[in-house]
Amino acid sequence: MIDWQPLLLTFKLALITTCLLLVISIPIAYWLAYTKSKIKPILETLVSMPLVLPPTVLGFYLLIAFSPANTFGNWLDTYMGLRLIFSFEGVLFASILYSLPFMVHPIQAGFSNLNSTIIEASYILGKSKTTTLFKVLLPNIKPSLLTGIVLAFAHTIGEFGVVLMIGGNIPGKTKVASIAIYDEVEALNYTTANWYSIILFVITFSILLLVYLINGGYLKRFWK
Amino acid sequence: MIQIALQKKLSAATGEMLLDINMQIEQGKLVTLYGSSGAGKTSILRMIAGLLQADTGTITVHQKTWLNTSTGICLKPQQRKIGFVFQDYALFPNMTVKENLLFALEKNQDKQIVKELIEIIELEDLQNRKPNNLSGGQKQRVALARALVRKPEILMLDEPLSALDKKMRIKLQDYILKVHKKFNITTLLISHDISEVIKMSDTVFMIENGKIIQQGNPIEVFTTKKVSGKFQFTGEVIDIKKEDVIYIVTVLIGTNFVKIIAEENEIQTITIGDPVLVASKAFNPLLQKIN
Amino acid sequence: MNTLKGKIASIKTNQSLSLVTIQIEELFFNTIVIETPDTATYLKIGEPITILFKETEVIIGKGSEHHISIQNKVMGTIIKIEKGELLCKLIINTKIGKIIAILTLDASNHLQLEVNEKIIVMIKTTEIMLSQ
Repeated sequence: MIDWQPLLLTFKLALITTCLLLVISIPIAYWLAYTKSKIKPILETLVSMPLVLPPTVLGFYLLIAFSPANTFGNWLDTYMGLRLIFSFEGVLFASILYSLPFMVHPIQAGFSNLNSTIIEASYILGKSKTTTLFKVLLPNIKPSLLTGIVLAFAHTIGEFGVVLMIGGNIPGKTKVASIAIYDEVEALNYTTANWYSIILFVITFSILLLVYLINGGYLKRFWK
Repeated sequence: MIQIALQKKLSAATGEMLLDINMQIEQGKLVTLYGSSGAGKTSILRMIAGLLQADTGTITVHQKTWLNTSTGICLKPQQRKIGFVFQDYALFPNMTVKENLLFALEKNQDKQIVKELIEIIELEDLQNRKPNNLSGGQKQRVALARALVRKPEILMLDEPLSALDKKMRIKLQDYILKVHKKFNITTLLISHDISEVIKMSDTVFMIENGKIIQQGNPIEVFTTKKVSGKFQFTGEVIDIKKEDVIYIVTVLIGTNFVKIIAEENEIQTITIGDPVLVASKAFNPLLQKIN
Repeated sequence: MNTLKGKIASIKTNQSLSLVTIQIEELFFNTIVIETPDTATYLKIGEPITILFKETEVIIGKGSEHHISIQNKVMGTIIKIEKGELLCKLIINTKIGKIIAILTLDASNHLQLEVNEKIIVMIKTTEIMLSQ
């Protein structure tokens, strides 16, 4: 029988990462979509870096930054009681950074594709920026939000390099499914590795399929 | 009284253009801005709405300052009480027609106005539909109703009718006139249809290259010379046919076609599609009661 | 549209109607309009004004004496006749300018109108419009 813990840990990580990412990404995407600031390209590049950077690079620098041997890591440890290396919190933090573009990009594109006059129309009707964001903008980019949520979720499930670098391989804390697979293969337990792989494959396939069905309007048509 | 003085450098397709206008609009009047595209009409409306910043200028609405660049006063669009009907309608796709109107309500405002507007603009059958399932004319009506919910001090319409066919346009013109009269709202309309301007407005500002080149009563502005005939209409030439020694010109006035006999000299300056003034002495027409 | 230029010689007003006399060369034309000097700025004695009337409203008379109710008349010479199937167009030279008249072919045949013939051009008071 396989050990379910790595799978549960994976989904716990993916779920929390996605929730936090959603909260963080909406303001970032909103700012990127509507700003006229000159530093926009720099911020856009930074957000997109995880797309091209090897995960190990990110993991490596996070490892160094958070190490209690360093000033910053020490400060976190002493004053905040946070030790981010080889801990679930550290992996979570790294996941958020690493999946950021997968959440920000679809939402930013959603905002940009919206007809900008509906924002002006809302302002003219006396509505504040916040009301406009929640009542007008977000409801109209639901497909983009869904895409962002699913991509971030799926991407976190598939994460390997960053977790390994900063989290290591601690059962129940940082040993997520992708690392467990690697572990089992190393130990020549192909059957267990196969089980983990199949479960991951089926779940991610189902999630993605569901998104395409919803965004493509297939489900709506089916129910009618 | 609404006083507007605005200056702004605009970059147009033809290069830089200085928009410099000065308008006085009486409360409750319907005013049109007329001019070719790129003349700066939309920019003027957007500056009044606060969606576009003027370089320098002042806007005073009933003694209240909305904008004064020299004292640094500039109310946000939210603080200016305006209704704006956008060229592309700008309805919220996630809300039904009724929800679009309800969204426009101010805090603690009585919902009765929404009901009333749905009635006046005849949206009863459409109120539970989403904007994507509406025709252009229907969307325009919803946009008009939505703009009125707040009971704005100025209603502005940016070429609201240009995308509609003639019949729909006339129907919407009547809706606009109806609400204008009913709520006595000062209304600013952009149009480049002369017959529309004459039908709708009390005053027209003719705008060219960011400047007001003419203003006043539409008939006086558009007809180079005043004709004493009391039986006057403006329309569009639909057809010119030579018959016998004369020409028969068909003119569309509103939704009615009329035929007018013309002589060669007159035809030389007129082609199909031209806006024309049709005038006759009031002594000629017959009146008959319709039962 | 026949267009003649003159200046306003006199204005008689009663309520909202005005009877305006326009001097063109040494001739006087009358027109009645639903305007008064208060409602129309151009109604001022001495003001240059254009009178307009439709070709189809022109009446043609032959001979010199006509006991009819039309006051506006001018002598002229037909310089061109253009005949259609039902209608006929006359171009008439008068001392106040060229005037075009359109009448039925029957009427023109009945009067036996010919080029170079001297005729009288008449126009009803209620058919003349004023323009600045």
